Amino acid sequence: MNDLVIETTGLHKEFRSRRGGLRVAVQGLDLAVPRGGVHGFLGPNGSGKTTTIRMLLGLARASKGSMELFGHPVPQSLPAVIDRVGAVVESPKFSPNFSGRQNLVLLARTIGAPTGRVDAAIETVGLTGRDRDRFKSYSLGMKQRLAIAATLLKDPELLILDEPTNGLDPAGIREIRDTIRDLGERGVTVLLSSHILAEVQQVCTSATIIGNGRLLASGRVDELLQGGPAVVRVEAPDPAAARSVLEGAGFAVSPAASDEPDLLVEADSPAEVTRVLGEAGIWLTALTPVRRDLESVFLELTEADTLGHEHVAHPTSGGAA
Amino acid sequence: MRRLLHVELTRLRWRRAVLLLLLAVVALPVVFGVARAWSTTPPSAEDLARVDQQVAEETARPYVQKQLERCLAKPQRFGLAADDPDLQAQCESFVLPQREWFLYYETLDLVQERDETGLAVVALVSVLLLLAGTTLVGHDWNSGSMSNQLLFETRRTRVWTAKALVVFAVSLVLSLVVFSSYWLALWAAARSRDLPSSTGILVDCLQDGLRGALVAAGAALGGYALTMLFRSTVATLGVLFAVAVAGGALIAVLGIDAQFQPQTNIAAVVLDGADYYVQVPDECFTDRPPPGIACDEEKVLPAANGSIYVGSFLLLAGAASVLSFRRRDVP
Ligand SMILES: Nc1ncnc2c1ncn2[C@@H]1O[C@H](COP(=O)(O)OP(=O)(O)OP(=O)(O)O)[C@@H](O)[C@H]1O
Ligand SMILES: [Mg+2]
Repeated sequence: MNDLVIETTGLHKEFRSRRGGLRVAVQGLDLAVPRGGVHGFLGPNGSGKTTTIRMLLGLARASKGSMELFGHPVPQSLPAVIDRVGAVVESPKFSPNFSGRQNLVLLARTIGAPTGRVDAAIETVGLTGRDRDRFKSYSLGMKQRLAIAATLLKDPELLILDEPTNGLDPAGIREIRDTIRDLGERGVTVLLSSHILAEVQQVCTSATIIGNGRLLASGRVDELLQGGPAVVRVEAPDPAAARSVLEGAGFAVSPAASDEPDLLVEADSPAEVTRVLGEAGIWLTALTPVRRDLESVFLELTEADTLGHEHVAHPTSGGAA
Repeated sequence: MRRLLHVELTRLRWRRAVLLLLLAVVALPVVFGVARAWSTTPPSAEDLARVDQQVAEETARPYVQKQLERCLAKPQRFGLAADDPDLQAQCESFVLPQREWFLYYETLDLVQERDETGLAVVALVSVLLLLAGTTLVGHDWNSGSMSNQLLFETRRTRVWTAKALVVFAVSLVLSLVVFSSYWLALWAAARSRDLPSSTGILVDCLQDGLRGALVAAGAALGGYALTMLFRSTVATLGVLFAVAVAGGALIAVLGIDAQFQPQTNIAAVVLDGADYYVQVPDECFTDRPPPGIACDEEKVLPAANGSIYVGSFLLLAGAASVLSFRRRDVP
């Protein structure tokens, strides 16, 4: 049995733009999400995350490439697997004139889920008391909660969450984070797309980073954080002198920020830095190892991808968007 | 499938705009029927007595009597034959005041109602049901909730069919009830007034109602299918309006034969055949038209032709709608 819950191979999606060109939203994406745990799906605005998710769920048609959910080819086998997949795709879309409860009841009846599930889901996301109000009267965070409640109607094995904490208050974000972590620990696989990287780093076991519709990096979060040179932050009474001494000794040195006296020094061994400075008679006041975090990894990887970068490419031979 | 039908029926029941339209489908024909029954009410005995008195007064006037004498003396002047055995009666009906001069009223004639208000009620209900079909799904597209529905049932043909069945069935049942009640009520009114009201007439009317209900349900289905195609109520109504205007202009400019005009065909379906007029060659208006040319201006379009015409439009819209819904990305 395949232990990948989501697998895409050479996934392509092109949109025909108004000006007649083709905008490539996803190009040759190979995505692999292992069973269990929370998997981050990261990328700058417009990098193709939502498009990929919509293709996986059968809402958009892939221009080229193949996709599998639980080892079944989609969209062909989607009817067989969709009951195991809960999803929130970007902004929550419900009937504005129906109450939150009515919206959930209709969805629950579509899959033949008992009405008790609706009550449970409403309670889980903390909408009790407001569930009979019209959806259009909800705040953004309440709408988001309803969307998450809808995913719970299925009792899913795979949860695809595209920016689920968008618009939630800090308490809400923490609740969702805890819920996601819980689900991950209970064996539900979660694909989490979010721009709040501190959140992602806290809950995700593995992550995929894409840019311009291409895979940039993928793997366990701790592996992604490794690599790159170790960096220490040096605080000295005379930064200019310290800098020239260190550079003289062959270290790569850069200011921590333009208006800060502290220096960032690439060094595998902090002791070496202390020794070189001490021998030059400079006594540092502080030396701290700089931990790489997901944010810096992300920014390094996606530096090149600026928004609005036009990808007008040659049409791929497969099909039209 | 049964689950989906249940869901769509519930969705319809909960959608207030659609319910209001369905309410209008019931209410407006009631108003129509009551208005017809009212305007054809026979005069009361009191009215008749008053009129009879008026007639008697007028008859007694000297100049009226003089006219009568003149008529009897010189009937040719009044366009009557002198040797008419009924001359007295003829002249009296000619010169003496009559009830109808003082009291005009319409009688309820079911045969006439079929062609007139019957057709109008079908047209009205069809437009309302078309709006209902459009509104029902236009809302799903507008709010984007269609994509959410498809996350719970991904088989798009099924989703399309379930919604279509609910729209068609609800429209058919409702309009059938409305039209049948309309005709039964008018027939009962005619019968209570001792006007011609054989069961034969009633059966004809009810059959009109059945065919009218099919047309109305077809309109609802058409509105639904077009909205699934254009993905917006406004776009659908805009396109329908544009087509109606452009089509009307085209018919006027190109002089399209009446048998190909939508209203003739719809009338043919509802009334089981409709009369239309054609242009005949000028020779027909000479004293002796040459033999072998058709000079009959009035033709009948059979119901079958009308059904094929209306049905093909519906089929075309339905097929385009399903194909597009199956293939295109859903926002
Ligand atoms: N329906 C569409 N028609 C045309 N272009 C589209 C459409 N949907 C998405 N795109 C384009 O595809 C690219 C990827 O968009 P997508 O929504 O997948 O980005 P994203 O990674 O989800 O971004 P964000 O972080 O802002 O949500 C963008 O350039 C976008 O403009
Ligand atoms: Mg997105």
